[in-house]
Formats: sequence, structure tokens, C-alpha cells
Amino acid sequence: MTMPYISRHPLENRLPLEPGIRAVDHMDVPRGTAIATVMAMDGEDAAVAAGLAVAGDMSLRFVAPGEWLAVSQSDTPEGLCRNLSLLLAETASVFDQSDGRVVLRLSGPNVRRILAKGIGIDLHPAVFEIGTSSNVLCGHISINLARTGENEFELIVMRSFAESLFDDLRLMGREFDLSADFSAQG
Amino acid sequence: MASLIHCPHCGVRPKEEFSIRGDASLVRPDPEASDEAWHDYVHIRSNPRGRYREHWQHVAGCRRWLVVERDTFTHEVFSVTDGAATAREAGR
Ligand SMILES: [Zn+2]
Repeated sequence: MTMPYISRHPLENRLPLEPGIRAVDHMDVPRGTAIATVMAMDGEDAAVAAGLAVAGDMSLRFVAPGEWLAVSQSDTPEGLCRNLSLLLAETASVFDQSDGRVVLRLSGPNVRRILAKGIGIDLHPAVFEIGTSSNVLCGHISINLARTGENEFELIVMRSFAESLFDDLRLMGREFDLSADFSAQG
Repeated sequence: MASLIHCPHCGVRPKEEFSIRGDASLVRPDPEASDEAWHDYVHIRSNPRGRYREHWQHVAGCRRWLVVERDTFTHEVFSVTDGAATAREAGR
């Protein structure tokens, strides 16, 4: 069977297709995440931020002033971009990044100790609160890090760096027996 | 080395997240200025010991160009501002 290159997940060489045994500290790799960059036009930062605040069905990740990543687990890439373009009209540029970025979801009691091996910011629960997100260096790779739950973080990385970051995280998590799988829900 | 930089957008970050882009105090000469003035602007740099204003780009973070004022001898950082804000203040 021929498959378009882009439909291959970049971690298919690293992960079994079927879920395995899950350890307490786990890396979940969702396959079908819709991701779009949103960049505010000059002087429209506040208007775009206000528009995004009322947008449902997606979560937002801070990248830079006037720049965000919009992430949706339920919408399609086309749907996400269409909704954002309609909502933000002439105030922002919206670009589909779903094939260009990979999401890694780390959770478990030791998740901060794992991440701290490669990330130079304060991840204390009272400092890096739930809902916080930021671009940050993990080892030598620039990622977007978001705290999505009590002990849960999502990392968004450029596709071509995904394997390298995955290997780094595996190594960082080895002392805690970190497990990794593709997401069961796709 | 000034190892922790307080990015106005991202917070306190290690210097590894930044690329140093050079002297921030230079002012571009008029297009009609002399060859001498342009030569100085493009090529000639001082290497001061002490207080220095430099462009630092937060390449692994917000990717913004920042103006970092620091001491090249004591490594003390005095201020970090966004380059666009600094340019607006200077009326450029
Ligand atoms: Zn920054």
C-alpha cells in the first residue's frame, strides 16, 4: 500500500502501534492533533487575545507577544483553521501546523523531575501553574511547554526534531521507568 | 558570564536560550552619509570593559530581539527590554 509521507507519524519507528504496559510516569503521543499558529496583525494583539479567549473547542499556547499556538484534539486541521479565520477575520494570520508539529503528553508523579533534566525554568506547581505555557529550550531543542493538569505537561515540537526529543525524554525518564505509547483515542 | 536573563515576555531564562546579536547603541547613518561614517557603522566596534548595551535574541523562547544592558566585567545585568519598545522610545 502506498501512503503519503506526511500521513506517517514521525515516531512510528520508535513506538509500537498497539498500546503496551503503562508505568506511573507515562508519555502519551496523540496522533491526530490539530495545531495552528495564530499571529496578530500589527497593533491587533489585544483584539486577537480577546477573540481567542471566547473561542471554544481549542486550547491556546503562548508563544510570543501576539503569537499563539491553537491546539484541538476534537477538531480537524481544516476545521480549526476555518473557525479561527472566521473568528479573527482581518486581525490575525492563521496557519495550519498539524503536520509540522508533534505533541507529546507527559504525566505522572515524577514528571517535573524528568523535565528538569532538560529545561531551565522553574516548574514548581505554584510557579508554573495549570494553563501556563511558554516556548522553552529542552536540551538543545526549542519546544512549547504547557502545564495541562496537576502532574501533566504537553510538549509541542517541530516534526523534524520529534525523534530526537523523544529519545532525550526517554533517557531523562529512564530512572523513573517512563513508558511511552501512541494515544489510544487517536 | 551573565547566565540568567529576565526576558520581559518569558521570565527568567538561562543564557543558552539566547543568541547575542551585537551592539545595540549603534544608530544607522543617513543614506547620504560619508563612506567613513558607513564604514564605522558597519565594521568598527568597541570592546568596552563595563556597562554595555547589546541585542540579545531569545531564539529558543519568544524569538523577540531584546536590548540587554549589562556589565562586561562584573556580569551584572541592569535591564532587559523589548527591542521594539526601545526603538519606539528612541523615536525610530
Ligand atoms: Zn522571551
